Amino acid sequence: MSTIPEELKYTKEHEWLRMDGDFIAVCGITDHAQEMLTDIVFVELPEKGLDLEKGEQAAVVESVKAVSNIYAPVSGKVIEVNTILEDSPELVNSDPYGEGWIFKLEIKGAAELDDLLNADDYAAHVEAEK
Amino acid sequence: MKRTPLYEEHVKLGARMVDFAGWDLPVMYTSIIDEHAATRTAAGLFDVSHMGEILVKGAQAKTLLGRLIPTSMDRLIPGHCMYSCLCNERGGVVDDIFIFMIGEGDYYIVVNAATAEKDLAWINGHNETSAAVIDVSAETAKIDLQGPRAREIAARVLDDDTPAGLARFQFTHVTYGSSPMMVSHSGYTGEHGYEFFLPNANAVKLWTGILDAGRDLGLKPAGLGARDSLRLEAAYSLYGHEITDDISPIEAGIGWFVNSADDYIGKEILVAHKAGGAGRETVCIEIPGRGVPREGCAVYSGDDRLGTMTSAGFSPTLRKGIGLALVRRGTAQAGMDVQVEIRGARIPARVVRRPFYKFHD
Repeated sequence: MSTIPEELKYTKEHEWLRMDGDFIAVCGITDHAQEMLTDIVFVELPEKGLDLEKGEQAAVVESVKAVSNIYAPVSGKVIEVNTILEDSPELVNSDPYGEGWIFKLEIKGAAELDDLLNADDYAAHVEAEK
Repeated sequence: MKRTPLYEEHVKLGARMVDFAGWDLPVMYTSIIDEHAATRTAAGLFDVSHMGEILVKGAQAKTLLGRLIPTSMDRLIPGHCMYSCLCNERGGVVDDIFIFMIGEGDYYIVVNAATAEKDLAWINGHNETSAAVIDVSAETAKIDLQGPRAREIAARVLDDDTPAGLARFQFTHVTYGSSPMMVSHSGYTGEHGYEFFLPNANAVKLWTGILDAGRDLGLKPAGLGARDSLRLEAAYSLYGHEITDDISPIEAGIGWFVNSADDYIGKEILVAHKAGGAGRETVCIEIPGRGVPREGCAVYSGDDRLGTMTSAGFSPTLRKGIGLALVRRGTAQAGMDVQVEIRGARIPARVVRRPFYKFHD
């Protein structure tokens, strides 16, 4: 059973989001997503300054066998990317909710946050996908 | 979906199963990278029972095979196996195969699972001899033990220590679980190792026996994911990728086995290709920086599109992106800088000597 921290928000595409203050959203992929992908060998990060619409492709995570697109959980501007992943992509496997974060978005408002799943909803979604 | 006799063992080991050519097979148990590394440093154990086995027997068996393959049948002596392919009239490849010569008029052919039926139809369709062609795929299990500790592990499992003395591409028969088992010093990983062919009924016994015997030496069960990454590093061809009905063995870079004087199917084209008439060739490409190439990626030199990646991915041993590419002949020499198009971006890459990983005996 994968870890699903209570304090995070989730998408059905297996991204997580953590608000850092009112306007900064830290984003990554869930423990379940990294388990499905297995050994992550490459992360393609978005450009800093890029304006993303909710659901727009933000990054790419690759394992030995598979390529997986990562989407923006909410709309916003990319203000920071985790460049450590360029040399240590395996952090997404070992610490998906911590050192393995992928990008930070500056959001315009909190409205879109209400559309995201809470931990219980996401757990049910993972279960239903099996 | 078809299941091998080891299906329950894979489930017990927590394998992630995938549909491969209609077979339910393990793509990995824990991690492709770990299974790959175990095979390179200790040993990996692979269930490849889905592969096909065809017997060709009788006084005219050699004549039939001589008509089907571009490799001289005289190069094969009893107790040895060789790599070759079935060629079509256009010089393309029906399948790549391993031929084991058990004795005069007694050959054992190993073929790919996805093409087994096509191969059988091809062989039968071109059989104008009295040779018998018998498909024994359904009753045969195949287990590969590969890696530097394979010899040691095999010696623990088999009462018979003859396999340890086998030269590369030599095979023998031993008794295992009161049935005959064929043991060949060969494989598909770039490592020293063995391929075991045995009746389905004994597959679980051998599989669990080898896993138990090799555990303390670092042996791991390894799935199809590692099998593919290992063969890619060794730059071995995979049917449907480097070789197809429309790519000749010379274009695929395995033209060294085109040497038969017999009148085999596709001879005219293959001889012309061998003499420099092939339009394409297969080269090894690596990405020194960041980026993982995939099959289908275009390869460029400036604005000139040279060709396409036929197999590509991340090399766990070299820790970088590697791949094989089919390009216009003469456009890509080892050492040359090229670009691989990944998701619309041209990524710097380099043509390197074949293989990426040199055979390790």
